[in-house]
Amino acid sequence: MTAPDGSHGASDGPAFERVDEPRADETREWELFVRESSEESLRHAGSVSAPTAAIAREQATTLFGFAAETLWLCPADETVRLVADDVALGDRADDYEDQTPEGNSSGEISNEEVPEQ
Amino acid sequence: MISVSKLLCRLDAEGDGLRYDAGEESSKPQIRDRKQRRPVVVWNCTKQCNLYCEHCYAAAETEPAAGELSTAEGKRFLDDLAEFGAPVVLFSGGEPLARPDLVELVDHASDAGLRPVLSTNGTLLTEERARKLRNVGLQYVGVSVDGLRERNDAFRGQEGAFDQALAGIEASQAAGLKTGLRYTITRHNADDLEAVVDLLADRGVDRFCFYHLDYGGRGADIQDVDLSPEQRREAVGRVCEMTREYHDRGHEIETLLVGNYADAAYLVEYTRRELGDEQADRVLAYLRRNGGDPTGERVADVDYQGNVHLTQFWQGYALGNVRDRPFGDIWTDESNPLLRALREREEHLTGRCGACEYQDVCRGASRLRAIAASGDPFAPDPQCYLTDAERGLAGESTGATGTAD
Repeated sequence: MTAPDGSHGASDGPAFERVDEPRADETREWELFVRESSEESLRHAGSVSAPTAAIAREQATTLFGFAAETLWLCPADETVRLVADDVALGDRADDYEDQTPEGNSSGEISNEEVPEQ
Repeated sequence: MISVSKLLCRLDAEGDGLRYDAGEESSKPQIRDRKQRRPVVVWNCTKQCNLYCEHCYAAAETEPAAGELSTAEGKRFLDDLAEFGAPVVLFSGGEPLARPDLVELVDHASDAGLRPVLSTNGTLLTEERARKLRNVGLQYVGVSVDGLRERNDAFRGQEGAFDQALAGIEASQAAGLKTGLRYTITRHNADDLEAVVDLLADRGVDRFCFYHLDYGGRGADIQDVDLSPEQRREAVGRVCEMTREYHDRGHEIETLLVGNYADAAYLVEYTRRELGDEQADRVLAYLRRNGGDPTGERVADVDYQGNVHLTQFWQGYALGNVRDRPFGDIWTDESNPLLRALREREEHLTGRCGACEYQDVCRGASRLRAIAASGDPFAPDPQCYLTDAERGLAGESTGATGTAD
């Protein structure tokens, strides 16, 4: 059993990593779910970038209106993402974390060398 | 990408295996077999850039974004690409040289079996950095220059950017890296096209990529400076003429057109007019092997936060995120109806694209521009500049707008 925060419950099921890194920067991201016909399941079909729910709706219907019977939009920043450890990139990247002693830098080029605007 | 120099002048180049399944007839190193069926992956490895270009599809800023893939995540992501069989990873941005670990990532990509290439504004590229990148396996550097000094600097938002880009090109060449030009054509800089090629060809650059404007990122905000159909036709014609003139003089420059597969049809028509039916049929056969617009098939994009996009220009929609699921699983998941439809778009294209005689070599060109113009992912690309006669629609009333008729 996995708790909503990604911690492990009492079962022997897979361990999950909670992916907290943002999917968007300046414009909000909206997870998109599509059902093509009523006998099918609702399926994740990616995400759209939109500042408001109304614009997200417009984008979703533009892209999937030709195929969808049902569309759901959920703010990505309010969606809890839990991914099995052996699938989550962050977990699989742990081996390489050990090889990079100073984190996200090889020291080849410093940020200071990027001129200010 | 459509190689004008290959099609009109039979230039033998390294990309032919990918573009035309023509590796067997080439003496240059080629990507073959399974990797031909996998996409070239553009990785916008950072949002940070030291310039502020008015056409930037990635809407880059002067600071990195929150949540950019770390070095370790980047390496595992590159492993996933290699395992999936991606032939090429194009390090882009923002400005990829702004990323402190770029050499380490290029080294990792090369060791994993990917062909690493770089797209840069050139202004941060010193000879020392270029040598480090070459030594770890970088295969190619594409430097963006969008006009002569005055126009380029205005376009790129910084005085001195032109001279710095030329210095970056020289540094790349001095380090022994294959180096080319990237030039996005708009009304602002179309007049500089030949002069920029002449200038750089004199300096030993022999690869020139001409990009049509796509309507992603800040590119969507400058549609008013996009070329008219007549101007586009003239610009593409000039690229054809210029390529032939250089080759006639014995200077075998490589010229490529990017971002508008109406160019494929135009090239067939141009060849038929200038070189005859036999040559036109040869060009058409190559272009059929190329397969038209690659969106969602032969090109993919992953942004700095790991979101997977249909092309580098289409940043407003993501198929998924590589932090949640390996790239190959996202890319091959055709339960997504949009992805599925793009891969069988001949069944969905409407209007003049739906009935066009050149659909098999163009495939409706940019779906992103179609959406920007009409809100319909399968409507005609507004940048199409073919005449109705060329499309095989002579005598029919198509209601088309934005054509060169």
